[in-house]
Amino acid sequence: MRPQLLPAASTADLPSPAAPQAPLRSVRQGVHAAAAHELWAGLHLSGFDPVQGLGPLATRAQRFTPRVSLAPPDGLLLEVSGSLHLFGGVASLGRELLEECRHFQGHPVLAFAPTPLAALTAARAGRALLITDPAQLIGALAPLPISALRWPEETRARLARAGVRTLGAVLRLPRAAFARRFGVAQLAVLDGLTGRTREVRAAHRAPVRFRRREELDCELSDHQRLLAALTPLFGALGSFLTARQCGVAELECRFVHRHAPPTSCVLTLAAPCADGRQLCALLAERLNVVQLPEPVRALELRAEQLLPQRSPNRGLWQAGEQGGEACEESDGLIDHLRARLGPEAVQGLTLRAEHRPECAWRLTEPPSIAPRRAVPEAPEELPARPLWLLPQPQPLAVQAGLPRHRGLLRLISEPERIETGWWDGGEIARDYYRAVGRDGVRLWVFREREAPHRWFLHGIFG
Amino acid sequence: MARAITTDEPPSYAELHCLTNFTFLRGASHPHELVEQADALGYSALAITDECSVAGVVRAHMAAKRRQLKLIVGAEFRLDCGLKFVALAIDRHGYGQLCRLITRGRRAAVKGRYTLTRGDLRELGPEQCFILWIPADRPRPEELHWLVARFPGRVRVAVQQLREGGHGSRLAALSRIGAGCGAGLLACGDVHMHVRERRRLQDALSAIRLNEPIAQLGTRLYANGERYLRERARLRRLYPPELLAATVELAQCCHFSLDELRYEYPHELVPAGETPTSYLRRLTEEGARWRWPDGVPASERAAIEHELALIEELHYEPYFLTVQDVVAYARRQGILCQGRGSAANSRVCYCLGVTSVDPQRGAALLFERFISRERNEPPDIDIDFEHERREQVLQYVYEKYGRHRAALAATVIMYRPRSALRDLGKVFGLTPAESGRLAKVMQWWDGSATIPERVREAGFDAGSPWLRRLLPLACELTAFPGFPRHLSQHVGGFVIAQGLLEELVPIENAAMPARTVVQWDKDDLNDLGLLKVDLLGLGMLTALKRAFALANDYRGTRYGLGELPAEDPEVYDMVCRADTIGVFQIESRAQMAMLPRLKPRCYYDLVIEVAIVRPGPIQGDMVHPYLRRRCGGEAVEYPGEEVRAVLHRTLGVPIFQEQVMQIAIVAAGFSPGEADALRRAMGAWKRSGGLDPFRERLLGGMHARGYTPEFAQRIYQQMLGFGEFGFPESHALSFALLVYDSAWLKCHEPAAFTCALLNSQPMGFYAPAQLVRDARAHGVEVRVVDACTSHWDATLERRDDGEPALRLGLRLVKSLSEAGAARLVAARAVRPFASIEDLAARAALDRGDLEALAAAGALAALSGNRHLAFWEVAGTERPLPLAPAATLPASELEGRPLLTAPTEGQSIAADYASLGLTLGRHPLALLRGKLRAAALIPAAELQAAGHGARVRTAGIVLMRQRPATASGVTFLTLEDESGQVNVIVWERVGREQRRPLIEARLLEVHGELQHQEGVTHLIAHRLIDRSRLLGELTTRSRDFH
Repeated sequence: MRPQLLPAASTADLPSPAAPQAPLRSVRQGVHAAAAHELWAGLHLSGFDPVQGLGPLATRAQRFTPRVSLAPPDGLLLEVSGSLHLFGGVASLGRELLEECRHFQGHPVLAFAPTPLAALTAARAGRALLITDPAQLIGALAPLPISALRWPEETRARLARAGVRTLGAVLRLPRAAFARRFGVAQLAVLDGLTGRTREVRAAHRAPVRFRRREELDCELSDHQRLLAALTPLFGALGSFLTARQCGVAELECRFVHRHAPPTSCVLTLAAPCADGRQLCALLAERLNVVQLPEPVRALELRAEQLLPQRSPNRGLWQAGEQGGEACEESDGLIDHLRARLGPEAVQGLTLRAEHRPECAWRLTEPPSIAPRRAVPEAPEELPARPLWLLPQPQPLAVQAGLPRHRGLLRLISEPERIETGWWDGGEIARDYYRAVGRDGVRLWVFREREAPHRWFLHGIFG
Repeated sequence: MARAITTDEPPSYAELHCLTNFTFLRGASHPHELVEQADALGYSALAITDECSVAGVVRAHMAAKRRQLKLIVGAEFRLDCGLKFVALAIDRHGYGQLCRLITRGRRAAVKGRYTLTRGDLRELGPEQCFILWIPADRPRPEELHWLVARFPGRVRVAVQQLREGGHGSRLAALSRIGAGCGAGLLACGDVHMHVRERRRLQDALSAIRLNEPIAQLGTRLYANGERYLRERARLRRLYPPELLAATVELAQCCHFSLDELRYEYPHELVPAGETPTSYLRRLTEEGARWRWPDGVPASERAAIEHELALIEELHYEPYFLTVQDVVAYARRQGILCQGRGSAANSRVCYCLGVTSVDPQRGAALLFERFISRERNEPPDIDIDFEHERREQVLQYVYEKYGRHRAALAATVIMYRPRSALRDLGKVFGLTPAESGRLAKVMQWWDGSATIPERVREAGFDAGSPWLRRLLPLACELTAFPGFPRHLSQHVGGFVIAQGLLEELVPIENAAMPARTVVQWDKDDLNDLGLLKVDLLGLGMLTALKRAFALANDYRGTRYGLGELPAEDPEVYDMVCRADTIGVFQIESRAQMAMLPRLKPRCYYDLVIEVAIVRPGPIQGDMVHPYLRRRCGGEAVEYPGEEVRAVLHRTLGVPIFQEQVMQIAIVAAGFSPGEADALRRAMGAWKRSGGLDPFRERLLGGMHARGYTPEFAQRIYQQMLGFGEFGFPESHALSFALLVYDSAWLKCHEPAAFTCALLNSQPMGFYAPAQLVRDARAHGVEVRVVDACTSHWDATLERRDDGEPALRLGLRLVKSLSEAGAARLVAARAVRPFASIEDLAARAALDRGDLEALAAAGALAALSGNRHLAFWEVAGTERPLPLAPAATLPASELEGRPLLTAPTEGQSIAADYASLGLTLGRHPLALLRGKLRAAALIPAAELQAAGHGARVRTAGIVLMRQRPATASGVTFLTLEDESGQVNVIVWERVGREQRRPLIEARLLEVHGELQHQEGVTHLIAHRLIDRSRLLGELTTRSRDFH
């Protein structure tokens, strides 16, 4: 769908903010003096999914003006009077702004008005108005439906029952009488709308991230030298994080080559860390297993997401000793193992209360990264389960009605029948037995309940 | 593991722990399925042990009687401390104690739950029940020790071999624990279903019970499907033989049967020095003198003696005295009531004042219909009371007999297609909104067999894996008779006992406070021959009572029930015109279509009219022969004199249920008891095919008595058609009295009658809008709701010409509180209101009430239009008690705001939204221009179009009806500003245009006109939803089936 553009009739450029009459006129209208200088762009994205968050769009919009503020859940406000001349007037600024919206979900409507609330309200009503003259503000707003104000449903219904359905009708009501019936807060909204009082809006601040690039004097391929070259970068990262009381849980280090695409090393940590030296040491571990296709000519260090980091409590005791925090120690171990073997190689295990053996456990993040949660306890009287479960049950040959595995097996238990899982397509119907092989190894085998009644090996007790 | 191969007879076994689906959302089989399966497997006995319940045992008992299987009654319990056991009744005393224990647990908890502690087990005597200890996963020997000490010699250890592994070691442990206490072991199956194929359903029910998607239940589901009735050969491989033998031994010791339950009537109704017989005779004689002041006619005297003799022989005096007592109470309280049912139409009941049907005016009714020597069943009398005062009567009964002796019968709520889809949707992880959408694909008329088809039609991908798994479960859950979901209370069936009721059947709490219900429904009570008095609420009695009061008050007359001038031709003229909106029973659309054809001219015609527009006579093809004979188009003939005696009242066509039975007696030689068995079979033959056993006897009997095979065959076919829908003459006789009285009032006192109907809502077939419209059409002036004049109820106001005008009441105003309205009326009585602020202050109305009044337009006299009223209401504040009163009202300080007046359309929409009706123009009058442009003609002009004309019309959908007997035809009633249109939608058209049919509020219909005997129908070809034209207007169709 084409984004809605400004109506052709009102593409006239805004008079220069320094135009001499402007303040006079606004004062005469009872509009706050400062408001007359302002021009707000209200952007409404209908069909925008609030889960997506307005932050990224606001950050992009900051290229038009530093005064961007969020109007959650689906709107944005920009004070553009100062930037109009940079973008060639309202029309082209609007066009570019709508262009930015293409990257985001939802159908954008853009309206301009001297007060932020008026701009937003018009946009929310789906009207791409351009109101530059404060004197025309009320007239232009009058036909808009009250619903655009997003007042509580109850207020709206009560107004509708008194026949008040448009902004014009509500602005015609006596002020004191209105306030008595619907509250001063609502009256304040109307005053903000017309510019009678000036609304102060918090400006959007883009999230902080760390990115640093270091061009090397000469191309390097030696790990030790690379590390030495990285050390100042990590030092800078460490100071950056400490100054902001933040840590990183994920860090990317890129080695830029002449021809080959950059080699990327991602460190994932068990807990946020702000210590440059520690991070550097982890990278060193990781570097040991990285194959560089070519020598390196530049280094990049990137941390996109900073996490709040409390400064560590220094214990009197050594870690693990006399009640010191053992978990920090294990975090360190996990980080080291992951750095060396890759993040996938280190996993946590958890039990699930499920009858199907293959569903009775699953992989998780190692315990300290995952939120600590009580592991559901396995039912007390569940019959014995093997420690070692095969990834796939392994078919067994049959001889005289009994399964074979390196020789005939001897069944040493009564059957345990499991029939369940029909609701997700993983239905099983099996009789499980413990069995002993010739070599004395105890195995967990099952026989299918349905024809052809095949036998499988599913686990080993040891 | 070597298996012993044996060919001999498998061991005997009795299953002693078996749940039915009356352990709601746990058991996955019907009681009769379990009994039949146990019998088929050759079990020696089956115990039904629902959890803290005996709700399913009567059904099991009846099935077991048919199969001649020994049935043991018991229940499973889990105490608050975790101790779980099954108690089995050994004898009648044990059963009584079991019921008391269940009652105790159920009464102590909210509806549907129970709570019991070890201390509560003193309800059970030490000897009269067997206790099966169900050990936990990790057995706690202490539990067994405690049980053995409490019930010496009666405790057994239940061993469940459900192939969950570890059985051998568990058996050894339990043997050790049992031996330590001297308690023997026996085998138990923890049965939840009759065949293992119910495993999926059982899993799904568990998910519904735990209210979580099935995928999250994990080990809270059972690991396998072994909890079914297993073959005995299979059990032999699982249990040591002595454990199996122990079950049979124990079953043999239990000799209680539900057949032993004997009902004892309450005794206190008889004053000292009298026997029930003498007292009933005394009351009857007194009544006879009141009914026949000039002396009892000889024929009636003989009939009275016959009835009293039969009552005495069967000891039914206390039943009649119970009914008489309740009726006498209602009379004393001035509550209108009327009995019906054949026992009610006996001479004895006529004398006792239970009914006003003069036996001579009615017919010689079959007294044996309700009591016969052959059956030991209690008679059946339904008593209707004014529906708004019935609660008073119920509480009287509770008070008189005590809650330990009187309770309401239960109603078993079954799964219907919608509820099944909604619950199963959640089982498969749908959100409540999604499963709601799934459930909505079913209409109230859709049967369970159509579930897959409807789901497909609604755009769900029936091939998707989850639906492929869900749909069979939905069909299983709703297949006849449907899985029970919970117990609710019966509308008015009271069980009253002489002894403790809770030793007869457990009592539990109903959802309504101050109500208790027994665990059995009316069929269960009937099957066991327990007494039940139906105390029902009837809206028309309330309305009649009010109409009499209004009319008497206005005119100074003294009319009462049954005291109006009889057989008034003007009333019958009105009835023949089908001008019967609001009249009892004959106001429905089908009735109105019949009236111009049947043309009732006397009381008995009304009796026939009430009974003939029923599915039974329609399916049995009795309507047309009767109408033909009535207008002389067909000769009235009888195959024999005896039959003439039975059928002469209805011109040789059987119309009433009783007539069919009488024919069976006089023409086929049935005894009255057999005839009654036939009646019950007629009700059930579709389900069980139970009429076949009677077929031979009927046809043979009639042949032997010289009737032609054609006649016999026709009678048999009519019985089949009658099914359970035949209407008894005994009920029609009572109803026809109310028909006449209400018709008389409508004819002569339309204002009072409409006023009373409005004040008795909700009741009847029509909403206030149609009642008011009809009254205005009959020249009644109707005045708007007005806070300055209206009362809570609608009232009559005297016009200058002396005729009454109807003032609408505040009760019509949506969301106005009754208490607020009462304060308003009281404050107004002191002095009239000067302004809205005055009203708000003196009546102490809150914002909600004031807005409700403003929305209704009831403040117009004080403020002008609705918008101004709302503005002023929004500005009123409840004055603080100590604040000084303002010298000037705030509204005068503020001045009048600039508000637009509402348009006519807005006013009409607001009228509908608040009052459900408007006294302004009909909404379609505003749309008529548009409708005309679309070539849609109003209802009034349809009459002018000829039979067979193709027409297009549109109207607001007032009603949708889909009678079960009409094979898929839907009847619609549309309304526009000029009148109503009756639309018939054939099954195919309805299927193809389902959405507009079920969703439209304003419906455009293209179709063909049919004029027949003064009745006009539009046969729909095309349906178009035009609801958008209505905008904000709120209309609601009343949907019936």
